[in-house]
Amino acid sequence: MMVKRPLVSVVDDDVSVRESLPDPLRAFGYCVRAFSSAEEFLASDCVGETRCLILDIAMPGMTGPDLQHELNLRGQEIPIVFITAQADEAVRTCFLKKGAVECLFKPFSDTALFEALTAAFRVSRAV
Amino acid sequence: MRRRNNGGCSSEGCIGLLPSATRVGLDIAEIGAMVGGLIRQGRPLPVVLTALCELFDAAAKGYSSSVLLLDRTGLRVRNAAGPGLPAGYMKQLEGRRVSWIETPFRATINAKAPVIVLDPVSDTLWEGEEAVPAAPGFRLHEVSPILSLTGEPLGIFAVFQRESNPELPGSTLIPQFAHVACAAIERMRSDAAVKRSAALLKRTQQLTSTCCFSWRVETDEISWSIELSQLFELDSADVPVTLELIGARIHPEDLPSFHEMIERARHGVSDFEFEHQLRLPDNSVKYLRVVAHGTRDQEGQLEYIGAVQDVTHHRHTEEALANLQAELARAARVTSLGVLTATITHEVNQPLAGIVTSASTCRRMLAVDPPDVEGARETARRTIRDAERASEVIRRLRALFCKKGATSESLNLNEAAREVVALSRRELERNMVIVLTDLAGELPPVQGDRVQLQQVILNLCLNASDAMSDVDDRPRELVIRTERDGEDRVRLSVRDTGVGFEPQEMDRLFDAFYTTKSSGMGIGLSVSRSIIESHKGRLWAAPNDGPGATFSFSIPRGPQETTACVTGARSPGAIRTPAGTNAEVM
Repeated sequence: MMVKRPLVSVVDDDVSVRESLPDPLRAFGYCVRAFSSAEEFLASDCVGETRCLILDIAMPGMTGPDLQHELNLRGQEIPIVFITAQADEAVRTCFLKKGAVECLFKPFSDTALFEALTAAFRVSRAV
Repeated sequence: MRRRNNGGCSSEGCIGLLPSATRVGLDIAEIGAMVGGLIRQGRPLPVVLTALCELFDAAAKGYSSSVLLLDRTGLRVRNAAGPGLPAGYMKQLEGRRVSWIETPFRATINAKAPVIVLDPVSDTLWEGEEAVPAAPGFRLHEVSPILSLTGEPLGIFAVFQRESNPELPGSTLIPQFAHVACAAIERMRSDAAVKRSAALLKRTQQLTSTCCFSWRVETDEISWSIELSQLFELDSADVPVTLELIGARIHPEDLPSFHEMIERARHGVSDFEFEHQLRLPDNSVKYLRVVAHGTRDQEGQLEYIGAVQDVTHHRHTEEALANLQAELARAARVTSLGVLTATITHEVNQPLAGIVTSASTCRRMLAVDPPDVEGARETARRTIRDAERASEVIRRLRALFCKKGATSESLNLNEAAREVVALSRRELERNMVIVLTDLAGELPPVQGDRVQLQQVILNLCLNASDAMSDVDDRPRELVIRTERDGEDRVRLSVRDTGVGFEPQEMDRLFDAFYTTKSSGMGIGLSVSRSIIESHKGRLWAAPNDGPGATFSFSIPRGPQETTACVTGARSPGAIRTPAGTNAEVM
């Protein structure tokens, strides 16, 4: 029986992250697409298919929170794991309150990523 | 009254042996010598003139003489000496105007010749308001003008008769005494002028810490002032001063250039000017500035006359200023550091995230059976690349924030600007600023301190970003442009679309501690300007035609011989710094 792997989309303007994240995500058993900007993601055909969004906060142009807001407006309830290079607990708390599944501070470990995704898919199922 | 027509007053030839004078045992040359002696002793003029009158009175029994010294206008009595006349009368004459009407006094000045008073006059010496009652028992006998060498009236020699018909020894005695008085007055005036000019020179030298010297090149004869000996801390016994003696005081560092200077001067440059240090016996150091002008005398011998100025204090002030400037620049950097902390954290954490993830992936790929060697190799490559990227961030930050003095190197402003853009891109983009670069191809290198110049560029960028933070109705656009500025200068400008500034703010923009921002110390632009000025350049601001302002600086290009143009075509128009790629980041 063919099982379609769930799609995880990565949106980050930083090339290191875009290139390195897909490997572990695939290893965890997900399908992965990486985008260099929020605009690129919105323009793609992956929005509806994405089961979890790994989203950078600070990006030129449309930021991570901007994208979250946009998706809410469109009624796309995709669980979001924020990632940021700016370690700020207050910001993290704020994002969690606004409905993010997790907010990881770069650099983060495989384990932290795995746990965040597991949580995201729990949410995903609940939705 | 009548004019004496013996011609006695002509200035020259009066002093000499005269039979009339010898009759009373004094000749006029002797009188001249005695008066000269008093002058040499430094006696004041009134004392000298009083003594002269006493000599006359002694020679001419029954007569009393007086010298009325006129002021510079020749119209008013400034000082009256007359030991044989009543003191009260003499006192009244002080400050009197010499009458305009024909009194003997006026007559003798106008005629520039002695006047004998024939009529017994009492009240016609001075006229009108200036009238002075005659001294009781005295009658004006003869007046003679005291004339300068150029014929200007200096005073009046007036002789009063006390007894009836006393014998006046010699008809030329009065003009001769007038002449001695003239010589005394002239001598003392010129002495005073010399003293005044010497005092002025000394004061000027003190005020400007300057000493004078002259150097005859042919004979190496040097004459210089005592102050110069003091400056060089030479013994007063070290006379005459020689070039060797001077050389011994010159700081060893400056000796070669000193000798070179001397050699060039010997070969007849018209002027020379140089600065050097002295090392004194107690090892203290003085900075001197020497300016000299060369002239040739009638025999064609070269002589330099010059001034030496002690600029030690000036130098120390300059050094203190430079230190203060460096201190301020560092303070500004620290301020920028605060602003940039977010950027730094971000720039370092970004590659670290890649490193951690890639390394984990690599380990996992090697753990499976069979190991995915190709995949592991790829992730290892990415790990190394990201680590290098992180270390590059650190290297740049260290260069920007470390404490070190100004250095000078040949550098390309395009590269400097690119590095600054890379470093501040995050901070600028966080503020929604679109960074555009328009860098000229074939830009000549400049000579300067890379870190300082980058500090200025960074400051201008952060200022531009701040100026646009409240702009919502138009793109927040920042354009960094480099271009040639004429033949020998290079210009960099940072243009924003921010709030701009009012024309009246223009002058204050560059003042220290002037700021329109709620945060910030307001020293950024002031420090930037001093940095640019220390690069012999200029920093200015101008409002844009549209919204915003443009801050520009222009500095001289580096030395011609090292002009290795950085080749490459000008970027085609204004191109957007590629966002989302790391091409411009590191």
